[in-house]
Amino acid sequence: MSLSLTDIRKSFKDDTVLDGVSLEVPTGKTLVLFGPSGAGKTVLLRLIAGVIEPDAGVVEIAGRNMSGVEPEDRGIGMAFQNFALFPHMSALDNIASPLTAQKQSKSAIQSGVQSLARLLKIEHVLGHKPKELSNGQKQRTALARALAGKPEVLLLDDPLRNVDAKLRFEMRLELPRLIKDQNATVIYVTQDYKEAMAFGDEIAVINDGRIQQIGTPEQVYLTPANTDIARLFGDPVINLLEVTPQMGASGPFVAVSDQPVPLPASHSGDIDRPCILGLRPEALSFASPETPGTIPMTVETEAPLNEKTVTLAVTARGREIMLSRPAGTPGPRSGPAHMVINASAALLFDRATGELIQGTTDAQAQGKVA
Amino acid sequence: MSETKLRISNIDKFYGAIDHGVHAVKNVSMDVEDGDIVALLGSSGCGKTSTLRMIAGFEEVSRGSISIAGREVHMLPPVKRNVAMAFEGYSLYPTVTVRDNIAFALKSSGKPAAEVAGKVEQIAAMLEISDILDRYPSFISGGQQQRASLARALIREADLYLLDEPMGQLEPQLRTLLRGRIKFYIKERGLTAILVTHDQTEANALADKIAVMEDGELQQFASPDEIKEAPANLFTGTFVGEPPMNVFPAKARSSDQALVFDLQDGSELSFPRSVFARDLHDRIMALQSVMLGVRPYAVQRSETGAQARVLANQWLGDQSHIAAEFAGGALVLVEHDRAALSEGDAITVHLDPSDLHIFDPASGVAVSHGASLAG
Amino acid sequence: MHKASVLERTLRGIALTLVIFFFMFPIFWIFLMSFQTNETILRVPPSMIFEPTLTNYRSLISGTLEGSTATLEIRFMSNLYNSLFLSVTSVTVGLLLGVPAAYAFAKLKFRGSEDIAFTLLSFRFAPPLLVLLPLTIYFQKIGLADTYLGLIWVYQLIVLPLILWIVRGYFEDIPSDIEYAHRIAGHGFWSTFTKIALPLAGPGIAAAGLLAFIFAWNNFIFALVLASADKQPVTVGALAFITASGINYGQIAAGIMLSIAPTFALALYAQRYLVEGLSLGAVKG
Repeated sequence: MSLSLTDIRKSFKDDTVLDGVSLEVPTGKTLVLFGPSGAGKTVLLRLIAGVIEPDAGVVEIAGRNMSGVEPEDRGIGMAFQNFALFPHMSALDNIASPLTAQKQSKSAIQSGVQSLARLLKIEHVLGHKPKELSNGQKQRTALARALAGKPEVLLLDDPLRNVDAKLRFEMRLELPRLIKDQNATVIYVTQDYKEAMAFGDEIAVINDGRIQQIGTPEQVYLTPANTDIARLFGDPVINLLEVTPQMGASGPFVAVSDQPVPLPASHSGDIDRPCILGLRPEALSFASPETPGTIPMTVETEAPLNEKTVTLAVTARGREIMLSRPAGTPGPRSGPAHMVINASAALLFDRATGELIQGTTDAQAQGKVA
Repeated sequence: MSETKLRISNIDKFYGAIDHGVHAVKNVSMDVEDGDIVALLGSSGCGKTSTLRMIAGFEEVSRGSISIAGREVHMLPPVKRNVAMAFEGYSLYPTVTVRDNIAFALKSSGKPAAEVAGKVEQIAAMLEISDILDRYPSFISGGQQQRASLARALIREADLYLLDEPMGQLEPQLRTLLRGRIKFYIKERGLTAILVTHDQTEANALADKIAVMEDGELQQFASPDEIKEAPANLFTGTFVGEPPMNVFPAKARSSDQALVFDLQDGSELSFPRSVFARDLHDRIMALQSVMLGVRPYAVQRSETGAQARVLANQWLGDQSHIAAEFAGGALVLVEHDRAALSEGDAITVHLDPSDLHIFDPASGVAVSHGASLAG
Repeated sequence: MHKASVLERTLRGIALTLVIFFFMFPIFWIFLMSFQTNETILRVPPSMIFEPTLTNYRSLISGTLEGSTATLEIRFMSNLYNSLFLSVTSVTVGLLLGVPAAYAFAKLKFRGSEDIAFTLLSFRFAPPLLVLLPLTIYFQKIGLADTYLGLIWVYQLIVLPLILWIVRGYFEDIPSDIEYAHRIAGHGFWSTFTKIALPLAGPGIAAAGLLAFIFAWNNFIFALVLASADKQPVTVGALAFITASGINYGQIAAGIMLSIAPTFALALYAQRYLVEGLSLGAVKG
């Protein structure tokens, strides 16, 4: 294990920010720390970096207990959300900072900075001060500085948050490869589920100072541990409907607008339990009224969303439903319509706790294979 | 023909002296039809907010005229323009509850209390703020304040609704749903709204027409579909659409049967001459160097076509975003199934001439769009 | 709109002129006085037309005061030197002690740091006269009375709280992330202090130093009581101009001009730093 955290706790005054966080990241792997703002992500990164100390718990890097080890001795590189460039130094001196700390020769520093600058396409602005750089260039300079010292552990605190949408998209495609080439152990903090899924070998979902789920992107997306996580992953947000499983002739099912949606046999034990049915918008599709098992509804609006078409509809019972389909495929723009549910992708949560009720749906099986 | 609700005629905005100060809005004209939602879209400093503030009356019009519902308003103070505005900075009255904030305008217009109360409840439910109606603005989150501010504007009866970055602070999970509801609300009542946003996703989702602005100039004013299929220039083409449009510099060359584009890495794209109209062919040849654009959704993997090598394949739950090395750059394509590709895989991509956008690299102006190629 | 802005500019110009006239006129008048003899200064009505003379400056520099009845020895130049020495040394000591302390108060939140910081500031609330008497007695007992060391020490009461509070604010404005970034890049605490915190708080330190210098320079009461003639600064030395045979306005004016010269020069020089510090947006990156 290159990085391991054991039962980390941290409070500021009466405010518990981290409440027993444990994590392990193998060498060369990327763990995405995902959660809403105020979940404790940034505090956790700072604890690993050593700029603040935990109240309890152990941080280990490469098997070495980091308690009492100064930040400069931890072998860490870090990129900050607000870039945190040294305003009085040129981009070159910023990037060179970890190398000067390592007392490298002038020529080694020069070549180290140059090769990183080439990789990140900022060679032409190396002489500029931070205030003369565009946001994108600042962000790349900050990344270059984090990488320059060839750190064993790389901490990236939402580095794409403050750049524009287009650049963020480009960096999302480019950055994972760049990071992999470093052979570093990476913790990447983000609030954007797409970044989380694109970057992470594993995703740790953190909320209220606790890790709520750790898993591969597939596991988190296909079998979210609770409704909160299900809502955080996916755009448009997952449809959550209050249901109560019933037993039918062919096994357990739930009724959505009086239409039975079959559940796997493993849910036989959940009959009459108050539940929430989670249906991803892409698991719902339009069908002709003649198709058996379709649910009637009224389409309110339709909107394009990143190469998808999102439809907002209302069922006969007044439940709002969102459906999504690939852009360019046909569908009703307004008025009455019918939909079918891909039952194999349905998720069942306990209504009281919001926890996922384990059953072997196809989606879950798929997650395990992946 | 529906009537024109808002007419902006050749307006300029200078900060400082006319013709000497900062020229924030440059000769912008547009007509907004009754019942349309129009998005002013652009990056910060493009002039979109200045334009909105001129419509609202918070900013003087340096030159040109604005009329709302057939009335010249650019000399009138904001209160006389009959517009409702939701501010980016929330600007709720801090001393009264969210409920009273929302009800304020209706109450002062003398509507019966019961009717006002009902309307407030209804709009609060739509914007998911029913549970915070009795709190004070400083005790609710930024996203909630923004929704309250939106409710306060939408509940009013006005000729025009002006929404300044209405969803910037909103929790991401709520965004798509609330966009749908707000669009339905506006459409159902036939309201006319102008929204300012830097987020092209939001503009696409809400607007009937998008006014793309950059550097104070109106770049294009058209429906989302039109901007997607026929962007007026390189800026519009690459600014609107996520994933963004792929662009490649190329040199055009004509042979007997084909129009060939030489790409930066030495490879070439060749199309039968017959797909290009005669005059278009001549224009491309006159330019020689062109910028080719192709939208990610129009790039298909196929048996035959151009070779590319996968750089990244990212599965996002319901889409795969694939980046492939092509023509010395990265070509992005979107698939709706999970693509079984990993870094280094060779793929063959088909670029259909009907999906190809050609731009003049010097001016950025579009020369042709796929749809207009043949004929 | 164009016309309005012309009017606006004109009005603003007039207002500025009035303000400048109001503040600068006394200094300008003193400047004129310094080139006049007592007779021309005291004539009624006053006039701006006179024959300029350098006698005032000459007598100050030579150290002999030509009174109407007698010749008086004065030590104006040595007073000026004392002022300069005391102020420069006090501010230097104050900066050496105050800047690191300000950093500690700003960045290392330790137990009781707020209380200590407040106590230090509260020294500014106490009237100097209150501590002067006991201080004089102590100083006489331990032999610090009438020494430069003793004066510089006491001057810290004026200089140190000022530096501490101004510089602390500047240090607090440096985002912690910037310092963290430097630490994480592999630099130690001390290097981060000297390479990041000091340069970024530079304008603030310059401003604090300048203000402290002016306060030290203008101090009167401590030096009056604690220093004998040979260690007195100009503020105290100027008393010598009030003689039994009258008040030498011309020499006083010349003395004022000479004594504000160093502060004036320093302010002009440091102004560049101050303006730069404000417009740099220094630490926002």
